[in-house]
Amino acid sequence: MMHQKILSGTPTASTDSDVHLRLDGLTKRYGDSVAVAALDLAVPKGELVALLGPSGCGKTTTLRMVAGLITPSDGRIIVGGSDITTTPTYKRDMGLVFQSYALFPHMTVAKNVAFGLEMRSVPKHEIEKRVKEALAMVRLEALSERKPRELSGGQQQRVALARALVIRPSILLLDEPLSNLDAKLRDEMRTEIRDIQQSLGITAVFVTHDQVEALSMCDKVVVMKGGKLEQIGSPIDVYEAPATPFVASFVGRTNRLEGSANGDGTVIIGTAVLRVPGRPGGKVEILVRPHRIKLVDANASPEGSAERFNRLAGTLTRVTFVGDLLQYHVDVAGTEVIVEAASDHGRGFWKAGAPVALSWRVEDTMVFGRGA
Amino acid sequence: METNTTSLPMKVLVAVLFLFLLAPVILVVPISFSGEQVLSFPPASWSFRWYTALLNNSAMISAFWTSLLLGAIVTVISLAAAIPAAYVIVRMRTAGSGFLYNFFTAPLLLPTIVLGLAILIVFASIGFLGTFSGLVIGHLVITMPYALRVLATTLGNLPLACEEAASTLGGRPITVFRRVTLPMMAPGIVAATALCFLVSFDEVVITLFLTGPRLSTLPVQLFHHVESRADPLVASVSVLLIFLTLAVVMIVDRTVGLSKTFVK
Repeated sequence: MMHQKILSGTPTASTDSDVHLRLDGLTKRYGDSVAVAALDLAVPKGELVALLGPSGCGKTTTLRMVAGLITPSDGRIIVGGSDITTTPTYKRDMGLVFQSYALFPHMTVAKNVAFGLEMRSVPKHEIEKRVKEALAMVRLEALSERKPRELSGGQQQRVALARALVIRPSILLLDEPLSNLDAKLRDEMRTEIRDIQQSLGITAVFVTHDQVEALSMCDKVVVMKGGKLEQIGSPIDVYEAPATPFVASFVGRTNRLEGSANGDGTVIIGTAVLRVPGRPGGKVEILVRPHRIKLVDANASPEGSAERFNRLAGTLTRVTFVGDLLQYHVDVAGTEVIVEAASDHGRGFWKAGAPVALSWRVEDTMVFGRGA
Repeated sequence: METNTTSLPMKVLVAVLFLFLLAPVILVVPISFSGEQVLSFPPASWSFRWYTALLNNSAMISAFWTSLLLGAIVTVISLAAAIPAAYVIVRMRTAGSGFLYNFFTAPLLLPTIVLGLAILIVFASIGFLGTFSGLVIGHLVITMPYALRVLATTLGNLPLACEEAASTLGGRPITVFRRVTLPMMAPGIVAATALCFLVSFDEVVITLFLTGPRLSTLPVQLFHHVESRADPLVASVSVLLIFLTLAVVMIVDRTVGLSKTFVK
């Protein structure tokens, strides 16, 4: 596997004293199948880290191992310098927000939030005070005597968050907390969770399969696939400089073209010659994000120099209106390439069937080797 | 609930079916107010004499108290054993979980008469026949499977996440069980209580083998009474039994809801 952009891939170098949560070769096997394979991760204090990947990539298993709900097959979990790999869940001092919220149905909102404090034998008057504060933080003071079933999904979510935070956990764990909310509420909660996390300065791990959540909320994104780490980096790193084709296609959308590289910074695709960053050789795949491509007239003279822009000819097969965007489907020698452009009141400049050319900057071209 | 779109012929059909099923039970009520010496319908005269006769029948009254006490004790022991058993079988999922569950619920599949005979043979050799503890043990054999089955199903349908949440919040396993698992199992516990009590209170076959001359339960006493006489006393006892059962069912309905409890 080739890394064309060097800034990617390397985890932020942090000294040991900064690291709050460290996973050291963490592994979970079920019989012959490996759910999490020797995962190494260092989360600095106060950071919000996303574990991002498709279902079955091991992100939830990892989170549950950190919480102590699953026993690792191998490896260590270190929090603030002490090894907690074999510590039982109830002594780990972590706040976990479940996908299903998991509120206690037989207790009021206030009782739900108070539970963790009661377990810690906090004095009664202090419990009252802290429950009030926690509910104020999620703006639910008025509903403290309700039962969970009388609340909306978003409100239940907030109670779950307050319940996890009121114990002042050393680490906040969030397991797909937004996936049961509708789109508008999800946007709101995203901001709310991030604001609360930052104002408390709490170290947090956020499991999600939604790249938008990971990119918009988190300090660092850990992309996983099949139990293995694909890339760790800032949201910008992961998006702009994906370490693998998988990361490129999972985080944001891409178009994929196959070609062969000449070793001099050019790649042949069909009859066209493209310029790519670096000097790869052999069979390669080229990835370009749909919104980085511009559709131009097939007969127009090339925009800028061939040094800086790549150009491919094709036929426009379909225009799809998706609200704020227009999607152009372009056939390039049998491969479909999607181009996205801002929609101007639903009117596209181009009509299906037109011969067009695709144009994009050389530095927007991502190139990966295609095995041997 | 779906909107009621039942057609008229369907309603009539259901009404007829219910009448067919309930007719014998309903008939018992007027017969219990009969003034006659023998069972007949419709009675030629009306009176409360068979209710008076019941109150004066000390064997019947003492059998009633035996049944009530037996039902209560059997229910308490069944729950005390089945709740932890269900927890171990459903939540701890050890290698033998499936085997244990099948083993404990197997008596449900055996003919009660065979169970009764088997218990008779064992109890005869250890001198448990005609004793109250013998009755308790005999009834436990058939109430335990009901209790375990209901409670295991209840527990299996509970989301594990609530218990996990409680443990991440600092609850030790025993505290989590007491404060979260047990309250969430409440509907199942009410159902199991009602079932165990009714099964024990109503049990005849096994009890027939285990009762003695000085110790009898109400259904067995009733059975012996019908064998020797055909007076309407049995009808007045039946009416009281019907109302007791109704009372139990109504308590269940008011506390957790009937359909939630028995229909699964």
